Amino acid sequence: MKKFLTSPLGHVIGAVVVFAAMFVLPIAFGGGNRIYTTFTLIAIFAIASYGMDIILSDLGEVSLGQTVFWAAGAYTTALLVIKAEWDPFLSLIVAVLISMAIALLLGMVTIRTREFVFSLVTYASAIIASAIVTNVPLFGGSDGLVGMPFLSIGGMELRSAAAFYPVALVALAVVLYAVARFRRSRLGLASRMTHLNPELTATMGFDGRKTRVLVFMLSAPASALAGWLYAYQRAYVGPDLLDQFFLLLMLTAVILPGKRILFGPLFATAILVVQQQHFSFGGDIDKIVLGGVLALVLLTSKDGLAGWFRAIAAAMNRPKATEPASDGPPARTVLSQERP
Amino acid sequence: MIQFLTQLVNGVALGAGYALLAVGWTVLLSAARLVNFSHGQMYMIGAFVTWWCMSSLGLPYFIAVPIALVVVGLVGFVLYVMMRKLVIGQNLVNLMLVTLAFGYLITGGSSILFGGNPQQIASESMKQRLYVLNTYVTMQEVLIVIAAVALYAITWFVLEKTRVGRMVRGVAEDPFLARLYGIDPAKVYAGVFVFSVASAALAGALIGPRHPILTSMGFEEVIITFLVVVLGGIGSIIGGLVAGIGLGLFIALFGAYVSPAYAMAAAFAVMLVILVVRPQGLKVRA
Repeated sequence: MKKFLTSPLGHVIGAVVVFAAMFVLPIAFGGGNRIYTTFTLIAIFAIASYGMDIILSDLGEVSLGQTVFWAAGAYTTALLVIKAEWDPFLSLIVAVLISMAIALLLGMVTIRTREFVFSLVTYASAIIASAIVTNVPLFGGSDGLVGMPFLSIGGMELRSAAAFYPVALVALAVVLYAVARFRRSRLGLASRMTHLNPELTATMGFDGRKTRVLVFMLSAPASALAGWLYAYQRAYVGPDLLDQFFLLLMLTAVILPGKRILFGPLFATAILVVQQQHFSFGGDIDKIVLGGVLALVLLTSKDGLAGWFRAIAAAMNRPKATEPASDGPPARTVLSQERP
Repeated sequence: MIQFLTQLVNGVALGAGYALLAVGWTVLLSAARLVNFSHGQMYMIGAFVTWWCMSSLGLPYFIAVPIALVVVGLVGFVLYVMMRKLVIGQNLVNLMLVTLAFGYLITGGSSILFGGNPQQIASESMKQRLYVLNTYVTMQEVLIVIAAVALYAITWFVLEKTRVGRMVRGVAEDPFLARLYGIDPAKVYAGVFVFSVASAALAGALIGPRHPILTSMGFEEVIITFLVVVLGGIGSIIGGLVAGIGLGLFIALFGAYVSPAYAMAAAFAVMLVILVVRPQGLKVRA
């Protein structure tokens, strides 16, 4: 079963089921503006989280600067569309390129750093980006940039949440396909290897540093695309895009289900967005909920909800102590024990 | 000239505060290889507990500060107990993330407890001035400098000259072999973690009176701490003090003569140059 779920065919069937459900569910829930907004936000935040996913799950590093790419996407779009009246899709291309350029720069700077140094430098980049957008008049200061027009495709303005939702859904499909392809690609393999065994990476002829920078650059377009969508969805952009909230949301979306599960971030984002949109307890308690969920998962399971399910399944399959010992070999041999 | 002198004095006070903020992290990082992203929130709670003790219980500042240290130390101990398994297993990625999550959770909790408005710690030392040449410093700033130098001196002495210091250094060197000498790494990690958060709280309680305090504080403090620790040479106690004061002077002078809004960005740029030019300086020194 697990083999099927992680196979290409399993992913295709899974994608068809998931997208059919995402298309039908808003209608099933009554199809109101609020419902479509919730589903649109799920798609947008999930897209942003997939950028984080390939860094965290495949490269094994914690990028705390992913909000920079997301904000870069939103700000570039707002600047080009509001101030220069650019075409939305042309602005998307520029937004993606700018986010990749920032990723290249950050990737080159952090090329020889690992673990907490990498995380802190990326974290600092978000704080510096926040100082820049708040202080540079071009970015509208703390008010941000207002006056985003409706997204228009082929001369048709998408004025309602229901009309905008399919765009977010298509973008999500593109990103999911790209992530699945990445994981099967040579770069995806090199990325995993760099994470799990850097020495082996070199032996197999991969350039670990180049791989890290490339994966970092690949993570940026997903977050920038989400930023582009969010700028249109919300109709304005502001320095709050660099808030901890979005960073925690992306991290939780990846960690909650368990890393490297293709539909995991989408599933987790759905839970988090529905809580924030429909069962919100107010800003401060929501912070406790988001921080609490992330901390709880990390403290209790090595691999998110998937780890919990595995532990429950293992507990249920474990033979009872009163049963006579079987003659066969033990079901699972511990080959290596982690140093405490 | 007067402005320069004022900025110099201001820079030393600011830098001593940065150094105070970073001392716990330096020890924590070198002894336990643990990076605490909620360090800034410990600074924030330190400031807020001090304020609360003074405004709600009517306690004098010098009684409120030790209470804040004890409260934050206890919070730190509870956090450590929860993270114990991750610390002992040295699961660094999850440790980073869990402390980040704690930080966010603490920010939300503190807003509920202390309210969302800016508050002012009414320390009498802010009103007392000491004149130096043509400029002056407040007694609070003098207090920050004295506390920073004293804390660094004590930390250096404890680490280098005492049995406790040998235990900490032993665990930093090799936690598994340290067991052979009867040292329990878990206890050392707990002690170092509590010291680290309490020192952040001390920084919050001492620096807090200089500005209005907000429960949203803390995120920038982590970056300042990181800058000090990196610039001082990771794990180096004396380096931390020098780097803290150096960073304070840089920010005060850059803020006065170039741009206050980009002072922190400029300091960060300096760090980026160091990252590119001298990445070997970033290795954890035990």
